[in-house]
Amino acid sequence: MRLDDRILALLFAALGATMIALTANFPEFPGQRYGPALFPRILGGLMIGASAILLLRASRVGGVRGVRFDPFMSDPARMTSFLLVPGAVVFYLLAAEPLGFIPTAFAMTLVMMLWFRVPVLRALVVAVAATALVNWFFGTLMRVPLPRGLFMQIVAGG
Amino acid sequence: MAIFAGDIPAAMLRMPGTPASAAYADESYAMARKGQLELNLGVNLVFSAAGGLVGVGFLIVAAPMLAELAINFSSFEYFWLACLGLMCAIMIGSADPLKGFLSLILGLGVGCIGIDPAAGFPRFTFGNVDLLSGINFIPTMIGVFAVSELLRGAVEIDKAGYLVQDKVGALFRGLGEVTRKYWRNFIRGSLVGTLIGALPGAGADIAAWVSYAIAKRFSKEPEKFGTGHIEGVLESTSSNNAAVGGAWIPALVFGIPGDSITAIVIGVLYMKNMNPGPTVFLQNPQFIYAVFIIFILANLLMVPLGYIAIRGARRLLGVPKNVLLPLILLFCIVGSFAMTNSPYGIVLMLVFGLIGWFLEEQGVPVAPLILGLVLGEMFEQNFMTSMIKSDGSFLAFFARPIAAVLGVSTLAIIGWTLFGALRGRGDKIAVS
Repeated sequence: MRLDDRILALLFAALGATMIALTANFPEFPGQRYGPALFPRILGGLMIGASAILLLRASRVGGVRGVRFDPFMSDPARMTSFLLVPGAVVFYLLAAEPLGFIPTAFAMTLVMMLWFRVPVLRALVVAVAATALVNWFFGTLMRVPLPRGLFMQIVAGG
Repeated sequence: MAIFAGDIPAAMLRMPGTPASAAYADESYAMARKGQLELNLGVNLVFSAAGGLVGVGFLIVAAPMLAELAINFSSFEYFWLACLGLMCAIMIGSADPLKGFLSLILGLGVGCIGIDPAAGFPRFTFGNVDLLSGINFIPTMIGVFAVSELLRGAVEIDKAGYLVQDKVGALFRGLGEVTRKYWRNFIRGSLVGTLIGALPGAGADIAAWVSYAIAKRFSKEPEKFGTGHIEGVLESTSSNNAAVGGAWIPALVFGIPGDSITAIVIGVLYMKNMNPGPTVFLQNPQFIYAVFIIFILANLLMVPLGYIAIRGARRLLGVPKNVLLPLILLFCIVGSFAMTNSPYGIVLMLVFGLIGWFLEEQGVPVAPLILGLVLGEMFEQNFMTSMIKSDGSFLAFFARPIAAVLGVSTLAIIGWTLFGALRGRGDKIAVS
């Protein structure tokens, strides 16, 4: 997805302005002229300045006008593939804590592989192996506190 | 080491494994198609190791000398040095300096989130406890680089590259002849690589591009470049590995990363209580010499390990993309989680994955964003210290001789960037 550089410039300028606006309630210290607001304000100013140059440049020369969508965005199957990546992460965020790492990671990798047309048997084997490997390597070896959830409560009794 | 590993898929599949291998991926693939895969990988392996050793040699000699100079640096010099590094990253590192600049400011802005380094006031946290700790840059990096790549990969899951050659034969055959013919390229590549690596803000990938261009420019047979010719590959593979050693010079001596790899390294050094800067040679000399020794060993070990990697690569690269993609996503999630030990890391990864994807679609390079995020705190701290010390007088930033030189060079680069953005260079980019 490619935006008009002029829209991009306006987005950046708005971001810079927001940054400056948010520093309005930062505290000043008595007897000290340079507080926590200074640096973000300079950055905000630079961002607006650079956006203005981008705006000028984009108005002077051609380039994309409006919004140009990628071909994949009009293809429902490809769009689903695209959304599947953030979707899987959101699913993990929601499910890992209550269900536990093992069932969540298994379900996530399995569903993704099936959608990408991996044969069922291979997908099952790879999903089981990957979940077990990651759980062993990160959970046991590296001592990352992967969420235990309902699964471990049932399997390990707490 | 990682860069050499990146050469393997570049030659076999035309998919560079690291950005540093991208400069000669086409050349390598063309060689593979001509049936010279063995010669290409052999040259890549041996000259990667040799170039790497040259870079380490310079690191060992130059770092302590520079440190002695840097010990006299005050916040003004560090401020300008950080400034210069950031500007170089934009100027040399990106096709469109103006968008690179915006990306950098965005990175510095994101770096402001959390507790402010000078006064300890929580900024842009919106009352969120996780944001108080700031934006952890490892999950951010996983998002910006890996997740955005997965997003692009998911759409083109069925378009995989194909292996041109199934078997890999004798790797080191013909190497002697190539060495005799092109030893000058090796020396030039290593020197250029070290030099570019040592520039703050420019690293192995830029070194590879520059060396490839130099090789072509000074070659006796430039017409052969692009058709599968070993000369450019040899020079740039020496160069990018030498740059790794070179990039450690500013990282160790000034705490300023030469590229995105040393940006991560600096984070790790802080975690290990080895605060990079000139005093590291006084406080932790044993670690520094350990780093040097490991560097030499790693470059020597690269030859046997690289040999095994080439043998194993065929199997690994044969794993279809549709199996690999979900697995990589799983690793990204767990890796981000492990950085914060909370879902916060995963949220950061997702958000910056989408931002990174969006920015790259707009032709905004994402590497400056990461450099800004990593350098932001040090940059702001030195800036604030300098401002408070000089009581707001901007002239004080130029009062010390080294600071003045650094300051003037930085301002010159900024001026040139703005000038270039308004004229010539930007037009071509905007149209394409």
